[in-house]
Amino acid sequence: MNLRRVHAVAHKEWREVLRDRLFFTLAFVLPAVFMLLFGYGLSLDVENVPFAIVDHDRSAASRDYAYRFIGSRYFDFQGYVPDERALDPLLKDNRIRVAIVIPARFEENLLAGRAAQVQTLIDGTLPARAATTKGYVGAINAAASREQLAEYLARQRGLSPKSARDRVEPVRLEVRYLYNQSLSSLHSLAPKLIMLILMFVPPLLTAVGVVREKESGSIYNIYASTVSRGEFLTGKLVPYVGISVVNVLVLSLIATQVFGAPFKGSLPFFFAASVLFVACTTAIGLLVSLLVRTQLAATLVTVILTLVPALDYSGFFMPIPSLSPEGQIEAHLFPAMYYTNIVVGSFLKGVGLQTLWVELVVLFGYTVALFSVGYFLFSKRPRA
Amino acid sequence: MSKGIISAVMAWLRRLRVLTIKELLQFVRDPVLLLFMIWLFTGNIYMQGSSVSMQLTSASLWTHDADKSTASRELFYRFRPPYFRHDGEIVHPKEGLRLLDEGRAMALLEIPPGFEEALLRGEPTAVQMQVDGTHSVPGLLAASYAGRIVGEFGLEAALANEGLTAARLESVPVIRDEQRVWFNPNQKDTWFMPISELLEGITILSILLPAAALVREKERGTIEQLLVAPLSPLQIMLPKVLAMTAVILVGVSLSLFTVILPVFKVPVKGSLPLFYAVTALYVFANAGLGLFAATLARNLAQIGLLSLLIVAPIILLSGLWTPPEAMPAWLRLGTLVSPLRHYIDAAYGILLKGAGLELLWDSILALGMVGWMIFAFGVWRLRRQLG
Repeated sequence: MNLRRVHAVAHKEWREVLRDRLFFTLAFVLPAVFMLLFGYGLSLDVENVPFAIVDHDRSAASRDYAYRFIGSRYFDFQGYVPDERALDPLLKDNRIRVAIVIPARFEENLLAGRAAQVQTLIDGTLPARAATTKGYVGAINAAASREQLAEYLARQRGLSPKSARDRVEPVRLEVRYLYNQSLSSLHSLAPKLIMLILMFVPPLLTAVGVVREKESGSIYNIYASTVSRGEFLTGKLVPYVGISVVNVLVLSLIATQVFGAPFKGSLPFFFAASVLFVACTTAIGLLVSLLVRTQLAATLVTVILTLVPALDYSGFFMPIPSLSPEGQIEAHLFPAMYYTNIVVGSFLKGVGLQTLWVELVVLFGYTVALFSVGYFLFSKRPRA
Repeated sequence: MSKGIISAVMAWLRRLRVLTIKELLQFVRDPVLLLFMIWLFTGNIYMQGSSVSMQLTSASLWTHDADKSTASRELFYRFRPPYFRHDGEIVHPKEGLRLLDEGRAMALLEIPPGFEEALLRGEPTAVQMQVDGTHSVPGLLAASYAGRIVGEFGLEAALANEGLTAARLESVPVIRDEQRVWFNPNQKDTWFMPISELLEGITILSILLPAAALVREKERGTIEQLLVAPLSPLQIMLPKVLAMTAVILVGVSLSLFTVILPVFKVPVKGSLPLFYAVTALYVFANAGLGLFAATLARNLAQIGLLSLLIVAPIILLSGLWTPPEAMPAWLRLGTLVSPLRHYIDAAYGILLKGAGLELLWDSILALGMVGWMIFAFGVWRLRRQLG
C-alpha cells in the first residue's frame, strides 16, 4: 500500500466534499440538527393523557375519586360526559385516550362497607401507551382504595388514622433508579441519540460519495490508474471517517452541554470505541455502494439497512431482553446494540474497558469483516 | 370554439398519460429500487411486526433474599411473566451491581432480614428495588409493575392479619377497577407495529421517489428536453406525482393483502376504499414536499441527504414513537403542519377503530389543506426555477 496514493485519493475526495456546498453543510449540520430536534422532541414520558369521566353517582365520594385523576399531571381532563354512548366517538376521534366510568351507588357501597366498582376504558391503538396508561390508572386507583380501607379500619377498630394506614400498607417498595436518579428522559435518550445518528449518517455520506463516481462514470479514471484496490478504498473512506469523528465530538458536546447529560466513563475509551464504530458504519456504506448502481438506490438501501436496526434492535426504546427471541437474535447481528452499550456505559453508568471489552472486540471484528468483504467485492475490472 | 377547448384538454391529458407511462417504465426498469420497494412493503413490515415491541416484557429481575422465609419466597413468586423474568438469586449485593453494570439485569429486588416476622406482627416494613434508569420509560414501568405487585401482596397480608380472607373481600370498602382496552383488547403489538411500519414506508417513498425522479432529470440534463417541449411546469410535475402515487398504492395493496391482513390478522373495521383515498391524498401532499426539496438540490447525492433531513423528523416526531402531548409546545405546533400527523389519525381511525368520514372529516380536511399548500408551494418554486 502506497501512502502517497492513498493520500491523493483522500485529498481528491475531501475536495469534492468541500466544493459541494450543500453536501458539506449537510455532512456537518444534519447530525447536529437531528440531535437537537430529537433530543427535545422525543420525550418518551407519557404525560397529559387526555381523558373524560362519566359520573353516574354524582356524590361526594365519586367527585373525590374523579379529582384524583383531574389533579394528576399524568392526565389532562377534557370534561364530564353524560353517558357511555358519548364516549365512543370521542375515543374513535382521538379526543380522549382514557375514560373513567363511575357507576351509580358508588358512594352508597363504600359507606356500607362493601366493595365498589369503577370501569376504565383505554384506547389500545398504541399498545405501549395503553400499557403505561393502565399502570397510572392502577396506581391512582390503588391509592384511593387503600385510603378507603384505612378509613374503614380506623372507624371499625378505633385505630388512629396513621396506624390504620400502616396496617393496610404493611410493605412499602423503596425504588432507587441507578445511573439516572431523576429518571430523566433526556439524559437517557441523549447518549442513544449519538448512536442513532452515527449509525446512519456516516454510511449514507459514504455510500452516496462512492456511488456518485460510479454513476457519473468518473470511476473509470480509477480503473485505469495505478491506484490499487486497497489504496482506493482506504483513501475514499478516510475523509468520511474524519467527518464522522468531528461529529462524534460535536454530538457528545451537545449531549453534555446542551442536554446536561452526565459523562461518567473514561474519555479515551469512549473516543477510541467511537472511532471504531464510525469506521464500522462507514464500511457499511462502502458495502452498499459496491452493491448498487444508482445514488437513489444507495440512499434508500442505506437508510433501511441502518435506521431499522438502530431504532428497533439496539435497545433505543426498549431493553434487548424485552424483544421477542427472533428480535434478540437480530439485535446481536447488528453493530448498533454493541455501541449502544458503550455509549450508555460511558455516559450514564461510568463503566469502561473492563466491562465493555466484549463489545469492543465485536465492533472490531465487524469492521474488519466489512472491510474485507468490501475489498473482495470491489474489482477494477467490473463485469459489464 | 368549444371543439377547440375539448381538443386542447384531450391533448393535455394525452401528454399527461404519455409522461406518466414514461415515469412508470423508468421506475420498473431500476431493479434495485423495485426490489427495495417490495422489501419495504412486505419483508420489512413482517420483520418489524413480528419481532418489535414497544412494551416492557420479561424485565430481567435478580433477587437478594436476606430473610429466606415463606413470605419472601411468596413475594418473589409473584414477579412473573409477562412483566418480569426471574433470572436468578444473588448472594451478595455487590454481585447485583455488577449485573446491572453489565446490562444483564434490569432490576434488583432485595428483601431485608426479619421481613416475615415484621409482617406477622403487623409492623410496617419495606423492600428495596434498584432499577436500571438508563432506560427511562421501561425503568418507570418496571417500578410501577413492582409497586402494584408489592401493594397487592401487602394488602392481602394485612387483610389476613385482620382475619379477612380473599373470599370476604366483597365486604370491605375497596375500589375495584375494571380496565377494558378498546380497539386492541389484548394490546397486541402485531396489530400496531405493521400499520406503523406501513405508514412510515409510505412516507419515505412518497417524498423520495418524486424528488429523485425530478433531480435525476436535472442531473442528466434531460430536463432540457422537457423544457423545450410544449409542457407547462405543472405538466412536468404531475406525471411524476401520479406515477409514484400509483406505485405506492400498489405497494400498499401488496403489504395489506400479503402481510398485514393474512399474517398478522389485523381486523380492518373501517372502509378500505376510504383508506386508499386518504392514502392517495397523503402521497400527493408529501410529493409536494419532495418536489420542493428537488428544487433545492442539484444532484442525487444532495437530494438523498435533503429528503432524509425532511423524512426523519417527520417520522420520529409524528406521535408514533412518542406521545405528542409530551413534546414542548413549539414542537407540538410544528407537528400540526406535518401531513403525517393527520394521516396517522385517519389511518388508525379507519383501520383499527372503524371510524368513518363523519368523525375523521377534520383530520382529512387538515391533511387536504396542508397537502394543497405544500403542493402549491412546490409548483411555485419549480415554476420560478424553470421559467
